[in-house]
Amino acid sequence: MPDMSKKNPTSRESWIRNRMFHKVPFNVAVIDRDYNIVDANERFAEHFGEWRGKKCYAAYKKLKEPCAQCNSLKVFEDGKTRVIDEVGIDLHGRQTHYVVHIAPLRRAPDDPIEYVLEMSSEVTETKRWQQEYQILFDRVPCYITVIDENYRIVRANESFRENFGDVIGQNCYKVYKRRNTKCPHCPAARTFKNGGVYNSTQHGIDKKGQDITYRVTTSPLTRGGEKVAHVIEISTDLTDIKKLEQDVIEAERLGAVGQTVAGLAHSIKNILMGLEGGKYIVSVGLQKDDKEMINQGWEMLERNFDKTTTLVKDFLSFSKGRLPELQMVNPNDLAREIVDLYRDTCAQSGIKLTADLVPTIKKAPLDPDGIHTCLTNLVSNAIDACQMGEQKGTEVMIRVREVRGKLVFEVADNGSGIDYEIKQKIFTTFFTTKGGMGTGLGLLTTRKIVQEHGGKIIVESKKGQGARFRMEFPRSRLLTLFENAGNHENKN
Amino acid sequence: MSAKILIIDDEPDVVTYMVAVLKSNGFTPSSTTDPNLGLKMAAEVRPDLICLDIMMPEKSGISIYTKLKKDRLLGSIPVLIVSGVSRQGEFDFRSFVSDTSIPPPEGYLEKPIVIDQYLQLIRDLTSTNLSLKRGKATDA
Repeated sequence: MPDMSKKNPTSRESWIRNRMFHKVPFNVAVIDRDYNIVDANERFAEHFGEWRGKKCYAAYKKLKEPCAQCNSLKVFEDGKTRVIDEVGIDLHGRQTHYVVHIAPLRRAPDDPIEYVLEMSSEVTETKRWQQEYQILFDRVPCYITVIDENYRIVRANESFRENFGDVIGQNCYKVYKRRNTKCPHCPAARTFKNGGVYNSTQHGIDKKGQDITYRVTTSPLTRGGEKVAHVIEISTDLTDIKKLEQDVIEAERLGAVGQTVAGLAHSIKNILMGLEGGKYIVSVGLQKDDKEMINQGWEMLERNFDKTTTLVKDFLSFSKGRLPELQMVNPNDLAREIVDLYRDTCAQSGIKLTADLVPTIKKAPLDPDGIHTCLTNLVSNAIDACQMGEQKGTEVMIRVREVRGKLVFEVADNGSGIDYEIKQKIFTTFFTTKGGMGTGLGLLTTRKIVQEHGGKIIVESKKGQGARFRMEFPRSRLLTLFENAGNHENKN
Repeated sequence: MSAKILIIDDEPDVVTYMVAVLKSNGFTPSSTTDPNLGLKMAAEVRPDLICLDIMMPEKSGISIYTKLKKDRLLGSIPVLIVSGVSRQGEFDFRSFVSDTSIPPPEGYLEKPIVIDQYLQLIRDLTSTNLSLKRGKATDA
């Protein structure tokens, strides 16, 4: 091609403009009022095929009639430039997406519009990604909203809209919680303040008025360094999970009731056996005219009737609950009593029983009988655990400690240990081979007594590695209980 | 010679009852309400059958059972578990004793016992054991 640029500046300019028209990275077409394509660049031809003699709708969309909503006609009418999304059919018959920039062409500013210039850029791939992201945004199984600095929702995904309605422009606190003011401890407020990511579990109300529980994460929607203008809130609905947890708790509670009944049945069976035995012995005594047997049988009957009364009282007292009878006592003394009580039993079984005490420990308001029962249960369990295994050198240790304002009693053993499943049930079941209390209430009673003292009991154990039961009593609660019962520490 | 039955149960009335029933029906019972003495008595008496409770304070019936079955001399004595733990649902032997080298008990009865059933089970278990003993004696 001859180099015209140096010889003739006008030709050069014309040549450059011509090349520019063909090489710009858009499909460029010039349309008249009758939809005729009067000119188009090379790129347009490469994309849509031969255009000469064709109407724009035929070239762009392979239609035989003008489009129902023709934007070019609108530009002819009002002279305003438009940017629109369009879908067309390319040379190969593929559906393609475009962003089209339509501008009026006049010879002079006040002249009528002779043509419109259509510059289209293919965005099929971008559009596909956009659609995919939109689907992802809408369908993810969590609620997503974008809020502005005034806590107004500017975007919300489909999952959110389904559950909270169409709420664009409303305040998030109004929508989530039906409040008229911002929520206290709002995680989004913290994100606005310092751009951090925060999590929080919240309770709200959906559009049907149902209570929901959700876990929300707030993140800044900003580019690095800029002030946070929007916050994205992503919430996971925990309502079903919480309900399941409640169901499990309820099932466990019912299970515990069932096990309590089973424990009660066990005690009753022993009493029944005593009554049957008494009846049998009286009967044999009468047959043989053996007064001694009759007396023996009668005593058995009386004893087992008494046991029934005691059992019923025990269970009633257990189910009713009671306030502990608190006295200022030295916790070490309670531990020593238990060591004295079990010294012989342990010695016979080759178990080392020790007490690890802090001599300076302060007195505490405790129900000595209640704590005695707890320690008896725990120590007899620990001894049993030591006897279950065959290992030598078994040991049971009672520790009394003061840990951060809490009085702690601990019973540890290196016996057979408790596996996880049993640990879950240990405070509610009667499956233990131990019947320390006679009524089979064992650890359930221990937990109850500890709770009545405002404390809690914790078990740490792995099968084969011993167990450690820890009763923790916050001193402040013990004191409150003590004072509520009309006592003062200095009186004792 | 009448069969010797050892009863290990912490409930004195249960023991009194079973002893009375066994005596009236021609057996030779011995008993203890102290679970710690259970193994010692088994070694001394060498009974033909042991009636054992599994829910006792201080020493677990399961622990006694495990030691009995592991004992070279006492391991072959049949054990009848007599317990308030009901067999359906609650008493699953393997949940107490996971060591499969220890066999399950030869018999199980739920408290309160029915006398005819109790005696029948004791006769069945002791006759099997006695015939085994006799067999062993002949072999020797």
